[in-house]
Amino acid sequence: MSAYTNEHFRNLVQVDRVHRSVYTDQQIFEVEMDKIFGHTWVFVGHDSLVPDAGDYYTTTLGRQPVVLSRGDKGKLHVLYNRCGHRGAKVLSKERGNQRIFTCMYHGWGFRPDGSLAGVPMRNDFPAGVLDDPIFGMAPLARVESYRGFVFACEDPKVMPLKEYLGDAIRGIDEMVDRAPDGEVEFWAGCHRYIYKGNWKLQMDNMADTYHPAAAHGSTVGPDGRQFQRRAGKEGGAAPFFAPNGEAVVSQLGVRGFPNGHSSEESLFDKVQSGGVIDEYRAILVSRFGEERTVEIMKNRRHSLTLFPTLDILIAQTSVRVVKPISADLTEVEVWPVRLKGAPDVISTDLVKFVNITHSASSFIQTDDLEAFERCQDGLKTQGAEWVLLARGVGAEIDEGNGVLLGPRSSEIGMRAKHNMWRDLMSA
Amino acid sequence: MTTTATSIKTARRNAFTLDELRSFIEDEADLLDEQRFDDWHALFAEDGVYWAPAAHDQESWLTHVSLYFDEKHIMKTRIARLKHPMIHCQDPKSACVRVLSNFKVEWASEDGNEYRVRSKFIMLEDRKGADRRCYGGRYIHTLRRRGDGLEIVVKKAELTNCDQAFPMLTQPF
Repeated sequence: MSAYTNEHFRNLVQVDRVHRSVYTDQQIFEVEMDKIFGHTWVFVGHDSLVPDAGDYYTTTLGRQPVVLSRGDKGKLHVLYNRCGHRGAKVLSKERGNQRIFTCMYHGWGFRPDGSLAGVPMRNDFPAGVLDDPIFGMAPLARVESYRGFVFACEDPKVMPLKEYLGDAIRGIDEMVDRAPDGEVEFWAGCHRYIYKGNWKLQMDNMADTYHPAAAHGSTVGPDGRQFQRRAGKEGGAAPFFAPNGEAVVSQLGVRGFPNGHSSEESLFDKVQSGGVIDEYRAILVSRFGEERTVEIMKNRRHSLTLFPTLDILIAQTSVRVVKPISADLTEVEVWPVRLKGAPDVISTDLVKFVNITHSASSFIQTDDLEAFERCQDGLKTQGAEWVLLARGVGAEIDEGNGVLLGPRSSEIGMRAKHNMWRDLMSA
Repeated sequence: MTTTATSIKTARRNAFTLDELRSFIEDEADLLDEQRFDDWHALFAEDGVYWAPAAHDQESWLTHVSLYFDEKHIMKTRIARLKHPMIHCQDPKSACVRVLSNFKVEWASEDGNEYRVRSKFIMLEDRKGADRRCYGGRYIHTLRRRGDGLEIVVKKAELTNCDQAFPMLTQPF
């Protein structure tokens, strides 16, 4: 590990390129688990997964098993999913409700806040030992949430969540504001796909509006539009090619935000309308008025990606979570969300559409996965050391607050992520 | 003899036997093995669906995500894409074999026009450069009489590992 000095990490990310070892080197991955996943706000889950006291949802933070739980007074907790005694994972189901979380090994019990509730034959332990809170299920150092999105951080000194998200917080707002009740819900489970490639290949892809013409050519119908990917008689299928032959999506801009966040402009040319969308729109107008409704339904962004691993799929009303497993293995979840207060059919249609846009069998994701695996293979080559992210370098428009807009499928979003990666890894 | 009794008797005479139902479903699997996707598509009723749930005991395709949920028009888009020269995730192509067994007629309508048939399957998928993949589970076919033959109203593939993460899926089960 001695070769991996801060200086070394700093040099792996240049202005317009990134060293291939960032994707391939397992030792670098090990450092990421500490310096990135141990020091930034990582999305854990949505509070709708644990609505009632005693509810829990098990997941991972980096590679570590953790549990999101709700305590007696409605408070959210994020705990390491590990028995304070011998270390067995306490909760094995994905979701459930228990007043006491009981370890199967020796029967220790824990409250949803992680504190030790019961120990069989307790008196045989030396006096006072079990009073130490570390023998409960230990909580993560920091937990904060924003509009139902729960984040945790192992570093007690991390900046507040809202400061970390900065202007990128709008991505969460823009999706949640589409719910007439102002709340979304994870209600229909999630898609899970896995690929033999580094987690950052998926993160790069989420700021990449340059690839669709080549990578997703097979999704374009004879009418020149991509297949219908969201509801509405209008605004559900976007035109794929512009009159000059370029992909429409590649003529759009990308934004880079401070702390490694990014967003892509919307690829849709029309606002959704027709059928149940009109009924939904009427509900928004009755609650918020015409002017605000126009703002809410505007095709503003395709998605907004929060470093390190959360993607708010605004156009698809879904949330994607990236889970690194090793340098060359990654699992991804995609959760369609319910817009509370919208007609039910809005949510059920969405479940159907996400099956064909973001599942393991979807028309789009499959070709992205092929690209990620080919990158991971190609990056093994010794002859070329750099991955180029140079599109639009120097053409960025400063929008203030550190937000940079890069026109025409600029790779600014990827550069923003890698700059954050560099800053954390060399700190 | 009453009219109803006559029609039931006629229906029994015209009802499909287990052997005929099995042949239909085995032939359907052959079409997929041979990647004759247009012929496969033609087996489905206009209101037909192909469904692979993503959770055990999943009751609906509306309230939970699915590994596949294709109504007939979606299936058509899927097949157009499978034949598109730019489908990179099929370069090279997959080769599959499906082995079916344990056929049972779960239910048949009195008029002999609709059937629900359960079977078990193992499917291998090989693609050069990729690990061999093995899927298994139950098929539940809801079939309807179409002329002298049958059409698929619902083909449901219940995989034993349906609730786990999958590498890219390009071949219907």
